[in-house]
Amino acid sequence: MSNHAKSTKTSSKNMTVKLKVWRQKDAKTEGKFENYSLDGVSASMSFLEMMDLLNEDLTKKGIAPVEFQSDCREGICGTCSCFINGQAHGPERGAATCQVYMRKFAEGETIVIEPWRAAAFPIIRDLVIDRSPFDRIIAAGGYTGAKTGPHADANSILVPKPDADKAMDAAACIGCGACVAACPNSSASLFTSAKITHLAMLPQGHPLRERRVLRMVEQMDKEGFGHCTNIGECQSACPKEIKIDFIAQMRREYLAAVVNQRPESKSGGSG
Amino acid sequence: MKTNFASSTLGRKFVMAITGLLLVGFLVAHLSGNFLLYQKEGSLFNAYAQKLASFGVLLYAAEVGLVAFFGFHAYNGIRLAFLKQRAKPVKYAVTQSKAGNSKWGLASNNMMVTGSVLLVFIVLHVIHFKYGRGLAEGYAVQVNNEEARDLHRLVVEEFKKPLITVLYTAVMVMLGFHLRHGIWSAFQTLGLTKENNSNKIYFVGGVLGVFLGFGFLTIPLYIYFFV
Amino acid sequence: MNKPLDARIPAGPIGEKWKKFKADMKLVNPANKRKHTVIVVGSGLAGSSASASLAEQGYQVKNFCISDSPRRAHSIAAQGGINAAKNYMNDGDSIYRLFYDTVKGGDYRSREANVHRLAEVSVDIIDQSVAAGVPFAREYGGELANRSFGGTQVSRTFYARGQTGQQLLIGAYQAMMKQVDDGGVQLHTFRELLDLVIVDGKARGIIVRNLLTGEIERHVADAVILATGGYGRVFFLSTNAYNSNATAIWRAHKRGALFGNPCFTQIHPTCIPQSGENQSKLTLMSESLRNDGRVWVPKKKEDCKKDPREIAEEDRDYYLERRYPAFGNLVPRDVASRAAKQVTDEGRGVGESELAVYLDFRDAIKRVGESTIREKYGNLFDIYREITDENPYEVPMRIYPAVHYTMGGLWVDYHLMSNIPGLFVLGEANFSDHGANRLGASALMQGLADGYFVAPFTVTNYIASTKMDPVKTDAPEFVSAESDTRKRLERIMTLGKKGCETAKNGGASRTVMEIYRELGKIMWEYVGMERTEAGLKTAIGRIQKLRAEFNSGFQLVLPDEGKARTQLLEVALRVEDFIELGELMAIDALERRESCGGHFRVESQDDGEAKRDDVNFAFVSAWEYSGDPSKPILNKEQLVFEHVHPTTRSYK
Repeated sequence: MSNHAKSTKTSSKNMTVKLKVWRQKDAKTEGKFENYSLDGVSASMSFLEMMDLLNEDLTKKGIAPVEFQSDCREGICGTCSCFINGQAHGPERGAATCQVYMRKFAEGETIVIEPWRAAAFPIIRDLVIDRSPFDRIIAAGGYTGAKTGPHADANSILVPKPDADKAMDAAACIGCGACVAACPNSSASLFTSAKITHLAMLPQGHPLRERRVLRMVEQMDKEGFGHCTNIGECQSACPKEIKIDFIAQMRREYLAAVVNQRPESKSGGSG
Repeated sequence: MKTNFASSTLGRKFVMAITGLLLVGFLVAHLSGNFLLYQKEGSLFNAYAQKLASFGVLLYAAEVGLVAFFGFHAYNGIRLAFLKQRAKPVKYAVTQSKAGNSKWGLASNNMMVTGSVLLVFIVLHVIHFKYGRGLAEGYAVQVNNEEARDLHRLVVEEFKKPLITVLYTAVMVMLGFHLRHGIWSAFQTLGLTKENNSNKIYFVGGVLGVFLGFGFLTIPLYIYFFV
Repeated sequence: MNKPLDARIPAGPIGEKWKKFKADMKLVNPANKRKHTVIVVGSGLAGSSASASLAEQGYQVKNFCISDSPRRAHSIAAQGGINAAKNYMNDGDSIYRLFYDTVKGGDYRSREANVHRLAEVSVDIIDQSVAAGVPFAREYGGELANRSFGGTQVSRTFYARGQTGQQLLIGAYQAMMKQVDDGGVQLHTFRELLDLVIVDGKARGIIVRNLLTGEIERHVADAVILATGGYGRVFFLSTNAYNSNATAIWRAHKRGALFGNPCFTQIHPTCIPQSGENQSKLTLMSESLRNDGRVWVPKKKEDCKKDPREIAEEDRDYYLERRYPAFGNLVPRDVASRAAKQVTDEGRGVGESELAVYLDFRDAIKRVGESTIREKYGNLFDIYREITDENPYEVPMRIYPAVHYTMGGLWVDYHLMSNIPGLFVLGEANFSDHGANRLGASALMQGLADGYFVAPFTVTNYIASTKMDPVKTDAPEFVSAESDTRKRLERIMTLGKKGCETAKNGGASRTVMEIYRELGKIMWEYVGMERTEAGLKTAIGRIQKLRAEFNSGFQLVLPDEGKARTQLLEVALRVEDFIELGELMAIDALERRESCGGHFRVESQDDGEAKRDDVNFAFVSAWEYSGDPSKPILNKEQLVFEHVHPTTRSYK
């Protein structure tokens, strides 16, 4: 949450907001915006609590509530995913949708709420999207391969603090897909590179290093994500402020893996 | 494991970056030559053109290479533009940048637009000057006691036409935008940026891009107003 | 039932029991393992690690989670750390001390043998997690860093910034996703368990609802593992995630699984206070903040509305340091929470609602500098600022206790198997390791211990030693369980329509969320930090009334007859279960006429400190469903303490 120097737009106790919300029955049906006006919104309410209030209001009017995703509501699970006023996760940098508070919005303001838009993330209903491609990218190689069982004492592997810190910076990714949402090409490069960098910075990640980058990049392409044109909007949209430097690292890893490619024996290897 | 480097998005972007940087190298050389047009008499420029022409087969090879780089760059660019369309078929009703460290802007968002304009421009530009009026049309000049094409005269005549000057100027503005994002982007794509140099490369890339665009742009204006 | 419960604890000295179990256990031939299917419900630390570990061994694993991805499970929100008896700090830690601290911290209401095993495998968890690439915090020399946590006097907590749960979960999730890639784990996302299927007295399958299409599915297996987390959301407001719920364990309970110690709830002392009526959850500020922050309230009531920075040192009451000089601000959670409640009850609470105390970093900033504090707690301070719009570097934080964890859960034996053979319960969903109070940084430890290092052995032992007939999903038990589920769904949807009709005709009918919020208020008021006989009886009455209201209809709009994603329908199904569970919690709290850990009965105290009654209550309450939620049957597992002898738990 880097832009704290902000501005509390609203301090008044209760306000009215106008909502322009994307409604869509399912992936096959065309969607459209619906307009709602909502009273009784307080500045200390979170954006998602405002959505809860909207759904209470709609329920009482006999209208189907807006389907949206959320879970932990503290910015760590990566479930929430609203594109608010043209920005992934809304106006706050370094925050997920659930960490946006209504004090960021003005009385009477029209708030446009859309789902993440990417061919690889089909819309399930209203603002709910399918992010299973991310799971498949991880399944393609986002692991060390260590099986459950006895391992060497944890302190027998020393990791220089700067490397461990960088690994942690990359591992902070919450898999929300804001990078894809914000990217004009719907590229999943930031997500994929974060995992590749996390595991490349640690000795434990080295045995599968080349296989990992080759397979994850291949899967990323297969899922229908676009290419990265280095616009870097993803790093501003990322709730964990993951840097596009990791995308550069992914490319180094990829190039090295392509150059060093070794044949993979059919019988051996860990899968 | 088997990889399809060339058809992967990363592979395609590598091609864009490498060919792009080579083309930037060409532009640097081109602009250096163009600066000779600041000599009003044109003898230096014509001598330079004559020198290049004298390389014969070598020049021919270089031109083929240049066309190839350019072709790869343009072809991959077009392929990627289609991919972009496929990856984000539905656009948002509203979009705005979250600023911060984002490179979002006119330059980065319009690479395809500026690139397409440059593609058309370069074809026309080559027809315009390389295959434009020459010895056959009486555009001759003595260089080192040999008869050579008076390219300088052609250039000056053309840039005295307001429409041509305006068009060239406009395209060079686009070139500046294309390079403003393109140079940095190539370094990032090749993995040459790191935490500690990324901002510097972005800055230097931008300065070089704007310098090239601006450098090309000054020449028609100079000729139009001062020659 | 009312027969004595057998916890199946192996004989022998405490340190040898787990070794003995492993030495004696029955094994399944590697070639036969792939013929066995294990269902794992839940994808948090316990669920993911169990799925990965069992699939690595060769079992066919089916994993079910309610979210779009297994990585969303609420384990991800744990901030502070994970305990392990590594003794890397050379400060006198050992497996025995971790065992001792945990039993004592649980106020002598946990099972010694389970806790000792937990302490033993804690060291393996760290090795396992490091091998899996978990980026724990490290010292400059490259070794792992440790910090201290509430309720202990050694530094044994491993952490990854303020995101330890996230990193451990991602480690286990990645191992599971590798198995998905290798074909060992079949992933079923967006599925919610709605019933357990028992064939021949053994758990053999589940009925789930596809949350996107509303389809009801049957899944068969040789063993069923529930790793579905705790039930703190029964209080509506808690630090738990929006979707955390009790349905899986409650449905298993209704099919015969005993519910252990339902009233044992952990109220976490350091949460951001509630700010409005529409609040949907409370945000935790990691307990690690108490390492540097000092907790205080003004000595005088009239100072409570003043700017805290203007209150002089001598007018501040650092009540934890005053009352508990040995542990100071690092007393266990139950003690810290209760102390906060006491000072606010005295009228010395601060903030607009007067339901908050200060957590002040002024002295720490003076001592080590703002940049050090920023490095240690920067992200937590940012979260605080974002939510409250106040700068904690300048103004003390305001904090208040909130429901955080439930120590209670389905009753399990030493094998982590419930009284229903083949039904295993792991992590927060079981009752076993934390007694009446959980120490900080122990939940992650337990989730991973159960999933990585206990269940893979005990499930194998069960499969190897149990004769099982082949069962298919068309077995009558599956057919009837599915039909029960469909009837229930129909009923809930009908109630939803009825409520809407009533409201349309001008009658009184509330939305399902309004009913849920009221349940939360009842629970917090009467079954929260302080419990009295009268209060609990009031709670039971009001919950019964609420159940009647629920059963008479509520407003719920169903756009596609439940055939599409309808989140409020999910909520309605969960609320029905929460209402029944809430009543059981109140009944359990009423029955337990002693104070212990997080369970504080006002009638049983010693000058504000909890007063245990070991003579009458040194047992696990294992409640049996009788068919009437208001009349559960109590079974008891007597607790025997051979090593850690119950004494008054003192942190003075």
